[in-house]
Amino acid sequence: MGGACSRKRDQLENEDGLHRGVSGRYCKSGSSKWLATTFSRPVVEIQREKGKGPSLMELCTYKIREDINNYGSFSMLPRDLSQQIFNELVNSQCLTEVSLEAFRDCALQDLYLGDYPGVNNNWMDVISSQGSSLLSLDLSSSDVTDSGLIYLKDCDHLQALNLNYCDQISNRGLQHISGLSNLTSLSFRRNNVITAQGMSAFSGLVNLSKLDLEKCPGIHGGLVHIKGLTKLESLNIKWCNSITDVDMKSLSGLTNLKSLQISCSKVTDFGITYLKGLQKLSILNLEGCPITASCLDSLSVLASLSYLNLSRCNFSDDGCEKFSKLGNLKVLNLGFNDISDSSLIHLKGLTNLESLNLDSCRIGDDGLVHLSDLQRLKCLELSDTEVGSNGLRHLSGLVNLESLNLSFTGVTDGGLRKLSGLSSLKSLNLDARQITDAGLSALTSLTGLTHLDLFGARITDAGTNYLRNFKNLRSLEICGGGLTDTGVKNIKDLSSLSLLNLSQNCNLTDKALEMISGLTGLVSLNVSNSRITSAGLRHLKPLKNLRSLNMESCKVTANDIKKLQSSHLHHLVNFRPE
Amino acid sequence: MKKEDTVKLISAEGMEFVIDKEAAMVSQTIRNMLTSPGGFAEAEHGEVTFPEISAVILEKICQYFYWSLQYARGKETEFHIEPELTLELMMAANYLHT
Repeated sequence: MGGACSRKRDQLENEDGLHRGVSGRYCKSGSSKWLATTFSRPVVEIQREKGKGPSLMELCTYKIREDINNYGSFSMLPRDLSQQIFNELVNSQCLTEVSLEAFRDCALQDLYLGDYPGVNNNWMDVISSQGSSLLSLDLSSSDVTDSGLIYLKDCDHLQALNLNYCDQISNRGLQHISGLSNLTSLSFRRNNVITAQGMSAFSGLVNLSKLDLEKCPGIHGGLVHIKGLTKLESLNIKWCNSITDVDMKSLSGLTNLKSLQISCSKVTDFGITYLKGLQKLSILNLEGCPITASCLDSLSVLASLSYLNLSRCNFSDDGCEKFSKLGNLKVLNLGFNDISDSSLIHLKGLTNLESLNLDSCRIGDDGLVHLSDLQRLKCLELSDTEVGSNGLRHLSGLVNLESLNLSFTGVTDGGLRKLSGLSSLKSLNLDARQITDAGLSALTSLTGLTHLDLFGARITDAGTNYLRNFKNLRSLEICGGGLTDTGVKNIKDLSSLSLLNLSQNCNLTDKALEMISGLTGLVSLNVSNSRITSAGLRHLKPLKNLRSLNMESCKVTANDIKKLQSSHLHHLVNFRPE
Repeated sequence: MKKEDTVKLISAEGMEFVIDKEAAMVSQTIRNMLTSPGGFAEAEHGEVTFPEISAVILEKICQYFYWSLQYARGKETEFHIEPELTLELMMAANYLHT
């Protein structure tokens, strides 16, 4: 069969969630927040028109997966077909060291094996047999050791290499990859043993554009080795707690840097002065650094700065008038600082702001008046503040608002009426125990909603009637305990849902699952702490897109779920109980 | 079947399969060939030759077309693929965008 059709390669975009307004609250039991999907490989969602069946390509791929032990080699196939088979085997966790042999010499370009169980040095021979075709390789969380990396010398065109959480890699391993000068992206998160010495291996990686050394405690002094990597655009050294002001000096000449993350390091206001020459710097993350508002003097000369994260920096109101100098900012995170309403005045003029995070700040209704002119605001985080229903009137003019987080605030049902005009709202977090069905009834005009979090709100079956308008809903969480099977009737037709969390509604029974069986777009389902039993599992058979299932504290065993996984739900990779 | 509603698919060996146009258009490639204005000779004669697809595979593909139409109409059955055909079938399916 002729030549390979050149399909567009999926770019491995490992965004660190910089633009998601992430609240600090992860302590909800049974919450879906544990599904912080850092699926490093592209999530293949089987998009299908209603009623249309699987393509012949898909059917063949699944058949090959079933018969995988009968295939000795795929090297005669066009590359994009063997790539598709490889991806399917990985997505369904069917790939083994033995079946990997079939992919020898297939000229594959992208091998995403991040978090894949059992990957070790024995896999490296076949991996490296892809030779110069191999462009990106993800071995994160594998057991590959330093000597395993020797094989990569054959992959001289490698552009992206991910060795996050590889506990067996040390400075010696870095030496083995020092010649891969085509590398543009390199990642070594959470490595306890690499040191400044080992980083000397990076000095030859002249094409490096992205370097990720998050959570490497031993690299103090090592940044001198990357001084000459002038193509570097993105550097992540978050939680490298040995990094100090003197390390910042090495970065002062990296004038192509666009993104720099030095959160939770020991850098102070003085270290920040070394960054003044980075005129292309657009993203700067200083979360948890021992800095004060004085550093804003240095930052105000950075003409391209548009994203600034200053959360958990122990800022007080002192010096906050300097914020008014940062007029180009689009995203500002001031969460978990000791700033009050009086500092918000200085944000009034930041009319380019699209995203503002004031999570856990000492602000309240009075402060919100200063935000009312920020017409470009799309995302506003007010979780855990003194904001109440009164303050919401200042927000009713923010016509571009797409995402609003009012969890753990004093907002009540009556106040929610003031939000009913914000027709651009897509994501709304109302996780607060004082919100009830009545509050939900005020929001039915917000038909554009895609994400609705009512986790601890006291929603009952009656309240679910108001959900019927939200035909675009992709994510829904109602875990206040007030739902029964009756309420699920109003959820079963929300066909766009991909995440549904109904945990802690202890009266839900298998009948609820029967109704959920039509939500074939579901990727994540949580019905923990309910009366669901294993008899109900059969209703989940049509949910072919399901990757994550939580049935903790139900009458369901891990074996029951495993049976369902192997017979029908091949993409189910996370489940509880396990 | 009326002639206007059918197309003829011809395998490498010259074996001819006459099927409904609706079935054939399950393949995006065939759909393009038959509907693109002033392009393909196939559109005029209602015939498409596949010099690289064998009769066995082409027959299986036609079976898939009809299975796919049935599935879309609500009759969800299993489509059986003989193991020895799978790789060749996949390559042909890739070419036919189906």
